[in-house]
Amino acid sequence: MKHTSIPATIAQCKAEILRTARNKRFVFFSILLPVGFFFLFTSTMDSSMTIGNADWGAYYLMSMTAYGVIGASLTSFAQRIAKERAEGWVKLVRLTPLPSWSYVFSKMAAQGVINLFIIVVMFLIGGIGRSISLPLSVWLLSGLWLWAGGFSFMALGTLLGSLRNQDLTQVLSLIVYMGLSILGGLWMPTATFPDFMKTVAAYTPTFRLGEGAWNLVGGGAISLTGVLILAAYVTVFMVLSSYILKKQEAV
Amino acid sequence: MTAAIQLEQVTKVYKGKTAVDRLSLTIERGSVVALLGPNGAGKTTTVSLMLGLQQPTSGQARLLGSDPRDRGVRDRIGAMLQEVSVIDNLTVEETIGLFRSYYRRPLPLDRLLRMAGLEESRRKFASSLSGGQKRRLGFALAAAGDPDVLFLDEPTVGMDVEARRLFWASIREMAGQGRTIVLTTHYLEEADQTADRVIVMRQGSILADGTPESIKAAAARRTLAFTAAPGLTSERLLTYPGVTDVEWKGHRVRIACRDTDRLLFALLKGNERMKDIEITAGGLEDAFETLLREAN
Repeated sequence: MKHTSIPATIAQCKAEILRTARNKRFVFFSILLPVGFFFLFTSTMDSSMTIGNADWGAYYLMSMTAYGVIGASLTSFAQRIAKERAEGWVKLVRLTPLPSWSYVFSKMAAQGVINLFIIVVMFLIGGIGRSISLPLSVWLLSGLWLWAGGFSFMALGTLLGSLRNQDLTQVLSLIVYMGLSILGGLWMPTATFPDFMKTVAAYTPTFRLGEGAWNLVGGGAISLTGVLILAAYVTVFMVLSSYILKKQEAV
Repeated sequence: MTAAIQLEQVTKVYKGKTAVDRLSLTIERGSVVALLGPNGAGKTTTVSLMLGLQQPTSGQARLLGSDPRDRGVRDRIGAMLQEVSVIDNLTVEETIGLFRSYYRRPLPLDRLLRMAGLEESRRKFASSLSGGQKRRLGFALAAAGDPDVLFLDEPTVGMDVEARRLFWASIREMAGQGRTIVLTTHYLEEADQTADRVIVMRQGSILADGTPESIKAAAARRTLAFTAAPGLTSERLLTYPGVTDVEWKGHRVRIACRDTDRLLFALLKGNERMKDIEITAGGLEDAFETLLREAN
């Protein structure tokens, strides 16, 4: 018996990546906007400024890379899920021999490739376009952190994508994306926030994803609290979205 | 050889409503079966139960001798569901290619494109297709795995005349190769021309089951019309066997009756004077309506 799981999973990954690359919202929110913001705010601000121990350029590159990675999960990934559900695509795929693990795995693998692409593009732009110099180990570690941490936003993307209404998903994911990015200090560093806002920021997943990379470029290490808070969010979002999906399927 | 589909005393209740009520049904391999019935008769639920998309509240559904959710079974079936599903940002051929990758022995891409009449739109984004074209893409996806059993839930809704003709030609070709086809449709003419077995459903159970001809014969509104001599009354006509309805237009009378042959002999025997005798038999549509009316 010929096995189809592997080629089917590869085809499924390829389709997910194609769909993302052709999605204008993805190109805008995850590539153009972070690149544009990065150039804008590293040229208008004093380049010798430091935040913590990190140089402003390196700090903001990490912020914008995190912003791009998060956008890929919250706007385009959530939107893809919502579209598939609204048009009965999921139901149709359930009737095929494609195993459900392969369906889920392809989505994660594709998102891994997409996030890696965003990180590489942003790091190349920062390293070459703005001559940010960091030790190789810091480039690798911060890249790896953003890549691994980026998966946690797939859980929130799934939750947003599991809402019944496609338009609601679109509007809500944009609000959540922008809101969390600003609150978490990805647009403007939390160092510029009033104290109360700093406390709020410390609880956002966006801040925690950025924090790991900011610490690394500042010569520090990833904080365990940050990892735990991200993990807690993943758990909550996954429980919520599987509850919603179960409820919708229970007929 | 096991039957293609077996439903044993299947009941499906949801939200306190019985959609399918103790339905037992066996569909042999190689048959083309049409499920007919008014909206809410339980056709789509029945198909969902056969496919394992829904689980019966009680009873058992078997597809190709196994649980419909078995991966081995999934490899040998294809379905066009009522919802028109396309995926965003993929072209027609990419979408079909994706589905082909799921199956062990897929049909060639070019053959699927030809069957669906989508050769010229192969590089278009699936989401930009017209409603009828999306439906045809759905057919190509259903046929992608070269299925032994093909399910078609209201397949031709939204297709134009030409697309419909091509579609049924493809279906008949597939049926000719010994595949089992289960379809639901509102277009009775299509069921009449394509199916070798028609199952009429109402309120979740089977009202009639047989060849299109036997259903028509059993329920069709056959009528006998003639120009009557003066003095013939409706009361007298209603005393003849099997007469259900009498309608006058001047001297011309039209009598509805199950067995028009028997009625004609009886009228001749009764020495009724008749001119310009005409017998008409209704199509499946009439039969369908008669069945539903009688059931109510």
